Amino acid sequence: MTEYLDVDVRPILRAGGEPFSVIMAAVDNIAPGQGIRLFAPFKPVPLFGVMAGKGFDHSETEIGGGEWQVLFTPMEAPPPAPVPAAQAGGQWPEPKIRLDNRELDPPEPMVRILAAAETLGPGETLSALLAREPVFLFPQLERRGFNWLGGFLPDGVTYELTVRAPS
Amino acid sequence: MIGGSVSKWTMSYFAMGIAWLFAAEALMIAGFGYPAADIAASGTLVLVHVVAIGWLSMCICGALLQFVPVLVGKALFSEAAALPVLGLLTAGLIALLLGFLALGGRLPPWLWLLPLGATLLVAGFGLFAANLVLTMWYARPLAAAARFVLVGLAALGATAALGTSFAWALAGYGGSVLNAVLEAGIPLHAIAGLGGWLTLTAMGVSYRLLAMFMMSPDVDSGRSRTTLLVGAVTLGLAIAGGLAAIAIQAGLDLVFVLTSICGVATVALYGRDVADLYRKRKRRVLELNTSMAVYAFTSLAASVVLGLALALRGSFAADIGAFVFLIGFGWLSGLVLAKLYKIVAFLTWLETYGPVMGRVPTPRVQDLVVEPRATKWFAAYFASVWLATALLLAGQAPAFRVAAFGMMLATAGIVQELLRTRTLADVTTNARLPQGAKLPRLLHS
Repeated sequence: MTEYLDVDVRPILRAGGEPFSVIMAAVDNIAPGQGIRLFAPFKPVPLFGVMAGKGFDHSETEIGGGEWQVLFTPMEAPPPAPVPAAQAGGQWPEPKIRLDNRELDPPEPMVRILAAAETLGPGETLSALLAREPVFLFPQLERRGFNWLGGFLPDGVTYELTVRAPS
Repeated sequence: MIGGSVSKWTMSYFAMGIAWLFAAEALMIAGFGYPAADIAASGTLVLVHVVAIGWLSMCICGALLQFVPVLVGKALFSEAAALPVLGLLTAGLIALLLGFLALGGRLPPWLWLLPLGATLLVAGFGLFAANLVLTMWYARPLAAAARFVLVGLAALGATAALGTSFAWALAGYGGSVLNAVLEAGIPLHAIAGLGGWLTLTAMGVSYRLLAMFMMSPDVDSGRSRTTLLVGAVTLGLAIAGGLAAIAIQAGLDLVFVLTSICGVATVALYGRDVADLYRKRKRRVLELNTSMAVYAFTSLAASVVLGLALALRGSFAADIGAFVFLIGFGWLSGLVLAKLYKIVAFLTWLETYGPVMGRVPTPRVQDLVVEPRATKWFAAYFASVWLATALLLAGQAPAFRVAAFGMMLATAGIVQELLRTRTLADVTTNARLPQGAKLPRLLHS
């Protein structure tokens, strides 16, 4: 039976804070085999890819009032050296656009993500699958005021990026 | 911010490096330095340091300031240090070259120029290395390619330490210890510089650039770690073993035999990794930078074969000039020129169109270059270098100067292509400068 550490990010978000580092600190502190029970005021979709990259399955339940409980359970076989990278904040709705840029020649993935990002409404998100970490894209996103959250999926080669338009 | 923005002074480093490359080619055409002069003559020292510090180190420093942040996913520790480093390296190199000229009697005997030049160079390289090491320190654990750079920087330190001790000894401030190092240690300085700093760094950066530009999966980290380990052992053997042999006044022959065995193994392992990158690429059609890099890899392999052949024939010491020339111009310069062709285009594209991308139609990176035109110049460059190597082996110094002239013409052609790329001269679409995009400055981003 998996034991879960409770992490409630609702007060942090209500206070306008940044929960990502708290969640990552919890991941670093739990014992092997232990999971995390996360309470959030929204369904934290972008986090799923990051946690998968760290070797956790997720199962989410709505607990009323638009709030969610998510169980992150350690996978049987942890993935090889995942590399998470992120810059997050605020509420992240389900992606409005999903792009699969894995087969495109660079820098085409970057061009498409920026083009798609320009069509997002305030606070909307898009998600993209890539063949590598888009390091040259990040400064462009930040310059335009977008937030992003990204990490390698458990396969170790697919990079999932979620971009959120400024609200 | 994660390190994917354009480093401000990278283009200035490239321009400075290219200026020194032209200077080196002009010296060779004029018959200054080896092979017209003795391998140990002051003119040869000038030529070698113009190539190794002015051209190759300058370009590799500029490229590392841009790509180490990309390798480790962290911004550069200090962007502000880039310009002082460029100034210190340039001033240090000029002082060193003048010191060599003084040594050869072409200037009054101002031998203090040698330690002065060495000190300025140590300050420049030291500031540069500290900047990169701190950048990597905050980005641990390190990616495989970054570890190569770290070992390359350690070799740079050894090269600079040996070079500095030579400078003091040549200026007459040496004492018995430094004089003993000067007498036997010059090959160690060359191995640390060419083999350690320049070659290992170029290898490390090439892993990432080739993977990026060809859409290949990164080389398995266990395998690249083996390559690096053998490379580091080679250097350790050469430098520590060499200094130990000098200290106990033993000959260096055993050190050189062991170093060459390990060196050949390093190149073989690297060749295996690079072949993998090409084989597993997703981008089937090679771009010019990756197809021309093949000639640089061929030159590296050829220099290993040449070195072994010369050693077996017993003429390695006599023909070392041809061996070093092939490493310096075929392998290192060839790779740097091929990669510059892509790096300049990519950074110019990113700088010009990044801010408006996705909002208006923008040209593609490949629209900034005309590869068929540039291919001719690269072909001429490598043909001239290989011809020049053959002429060096055949002892044909006058004909070598003609081949050097061919190298300069080809370099001028390649540089003209780089300038056209930087000024967007070949972008023919209506979207050359869409609203919000500015023509980049030539030397400063």
